[in-house]
Amino acid sequence: MKGIYYVITLYIFLMLPPVANLMESVMIIHMHMQMTLFVIIGFLLAPVLQKKFPRFFEEWNPNGIPGILLFVIVMFYWTLPRSMDEALNLWYIELFKFISLPFLAGVPLRDSWKKVSASVKNGLIILFTLLFIAMGWLYIWSPNQLCNNYLLIDQITLGWGFLLTAVCMISYIAYSYITDLAENI
Amino acid sequence: MEAIKKEYWKDKANKALGISPEDARITKSYLSVAFIAILVGGFLGLLQGMNRAGILELPVWANYYKVLTAHGLLLVVVLSAFFTIGYFYAGLSHSLGGLLPKVRKMAWIGFWMKIFGFVLAVIPILQGDASVMYTFYPPMAAAPMFYIGLVFIVLGVWMLAFGAFINVANWRKNHKGQHIPIISFFATGVFVLLFFGSLPVAIEVFYIIPWAFGWIDTINVMVSRTLFWAFGHTLVNIWYMTAISAWYVFVPKIIDGRRWSDMLTRIVVIALVIMNITGGFHHQIIDPGISESVKYMHVFMSLAIGFPSLMTAYAMFAVFEKTARKKGGRGLVGWYKKMPWGDVRFLAPFIAMVAFIPAGAGGIVQSTNQLNQVVHNSMWVVGHFHLTLGMTVVMTFFGVSYWLVPFVSGRVLTPAINKLGIIQTIVWTVGMVLMSGAMHWVGLLGSPRRTSYSTYFDNATALSWDPYLFFLAIGGTLLMIGVLLQVYAVFNMMFFAPKGETEFPVAEEEEDATPTPMWTERWGLWIVLMLTLVSMAYVIPLVDFIVNAPPGSPPFKTW
Repeated sequence: MKGIYYVITLYIFLMLPPVANLMESVMIIHMHMQMTLFVIIGFLLAPVLQKKFPRFFEEWNPNGIPGILLFVIVMFYWTLPRSMDEALNLWYIELFKFISLPFLAGVPLRDSWKKVSASVKNGLIILFTLLFIAMGWLYIWSPNQLCNNYLLIDQITLGWGFLLTAVCMISYIAYSYITDLAENI
Repeated sequence: MEAIKKEYWKDKANKALGISPEDARITKSYLSVAFIAILVGGFLGLLQGMNRAGILELPVWANYYKVLTAHGLLLVVVLSAFFTIGYFYAGLSHSLGGLLPKVRKMAWIGFWMKIFGFVLAVIPILQGDASVMYTFYPPMAAAPMFYIGLVFIVLGVWMLAFGAFINVANWRKNHKGQHIPIISFFATGVFVLLFFGSLPVAIEVFYIIPWAFGWIDTINVMVSRTLFWAFGHTLVNIWYMTAISAWYVFVPKIIDGRRWSDMLTRIVVIALVIMNITGGFHHQIIDPGISESVKYMHVFMSLAIGFPSLMTAYAMFAVFEKTARKKGGRGLVGWYKKMPWGDVRFLAPFIAMVAFIPAGAGGIVQSTNQLNQVVHNSMWVVGHFHLTLGMTVVMTFFGVSYWLVPFVSGRVLTPAINKLGIIQTIVWTVGMVLMSGAMHWVGLLGSPRRTSYSTYFDNATALSWDPYLFFLAIGGTLLMIGVLLQVYAVFNMMFFAPKGETEFPVAEEEEDATPTPMWTERWGLWIVLMLTLVSMAYVIPLVDFIVNAPPGSPPFKTW
């Protein structure tokens, strides 16, 4: 459990104003790196919370579906251009970002992942692949600036980031489809 | 020496695991080309070092830049790649129960494609139409034939990579639930990097060819440079991974020890595969067009690659100390006396490892923003890669050759050749320390790299470099003697040494080793993670370079 202190240290480090400002200065790093890191922090914190509040998770997330739904809603919310703008302009939305991504996305994802069936897992990856393709399309080919705080070039970069990540996810889906992980390794 | 003699007679059972003549021929061919390349490339290096020190005037038909290009290409592309492939194909053959017939065929097709490509590339170099140096990115342009040659070299590499993948996949199909043997695990990692690392350079070269022919007027220099370094840096780490594979797998056996942690070894390979390609950015620290914040974040990526190296250093010294203590070594450092110092198969890789301490530290200096500004484009950089490639990697290759060449030739390492190897190792070490040390120092004093000898109208600062350049020439001369000894030893072991059985010295794991988890075998996942990381790292600068592209550059011939 010593590892938990490293996770908390990383969590605090990422929230420090100079670090947060640096990461938020580039649109793609804001969305694809900072936000992802917050989700990962929640993912790593989950075992401690599961141990501390086992009843809570049993009661509210018995089969994993509520957790996955919460994860999807929170993630979809943070892919909206407007939510990023607000996080930069309003301090309480920034605070909401710091709290929602670890605790309403990372923690429920970890708690649900082992409870849901393989088809839900694959469905989730496919859903996010489709979302990423759609977001890539939107950000690359939108003629207008979608975020007030970022330039058009930032937006196009983010779009390509979405598309490339989607390509990687498709490769992963193909890989897990052709390889029986349980048997072959 | 005792250890060597004993090994001739023990492990008779190893005969059964020997290499088939067809597979041995592949490795012998690759190694022969590698060592011929070092002979020619080393001679060119000597000419160049003498010229750079102002001691030797080159004839008009062989100017400094032409010799530099040939030297770089022979040693960086030919020697290292041919040795790596020959070595790993012997490892695949030994550990996977022989190469498949179709893989053997692919290895030969790849061999001839590489040779053909190399001949195509060398012709314009000799004609003086391709003095673009090993870093062949625009705006300097060579004759189109040079780039077409490079295409064939890359295609040859891909042939070899896919050959290795087919052989490993076939083995996995027949050995479900087992770990890939450790040397083949390293080979898989190296060929994955060779394939994915050469993709960017293939794109770069396909983009350069129409420009070199004049079909398109201009080229995006920054895109080309970025694609080149994605490959260039990966290539560096491919040699390094080849060298550490010998440290992890063979050196423990040579000192009569065991491999220290199979799991750690495999995690080091995986970490190097995933994080490697993006390291290309630290070669572009003073390039324009990449914002400071992006460069700053890439420092983390580059330093992350240092982490598996620290794990390697720990593992190696753990093996040494454990083995020496088992043999009765005592004291805090007294155990080092129990190491087989008289065995070249140990001594050469050991000095290679020690050299990596300053070499790795120098690498960290260069990937740090401010320090890079001090040494960038100075002779320091040349000193750095002579220490890493010329010492850490090449000395490991030399050490390996003393058992690999006899193994594939069905001969033995004689005490005389072992002694020659020890002398060679000492000559090489002294030569490289002198040369690389002088290069580092004179670089700090401001002497530029990629520049032929000049006193800059007898400028006092430039004249102050001369004593160091003199050391460079002395070191270079010693290295040439080292090359001659090494090449003699290799061909002696290949064709003239007494016949006999040499073992393929794969070390066993520790008896009480914890079993390695099976997730280390998920190569598909590691590749997807690597691709994701590469996408994330390259999307910002590449989109910027392409969307906000400057007018582009016509081809330049500066020589």
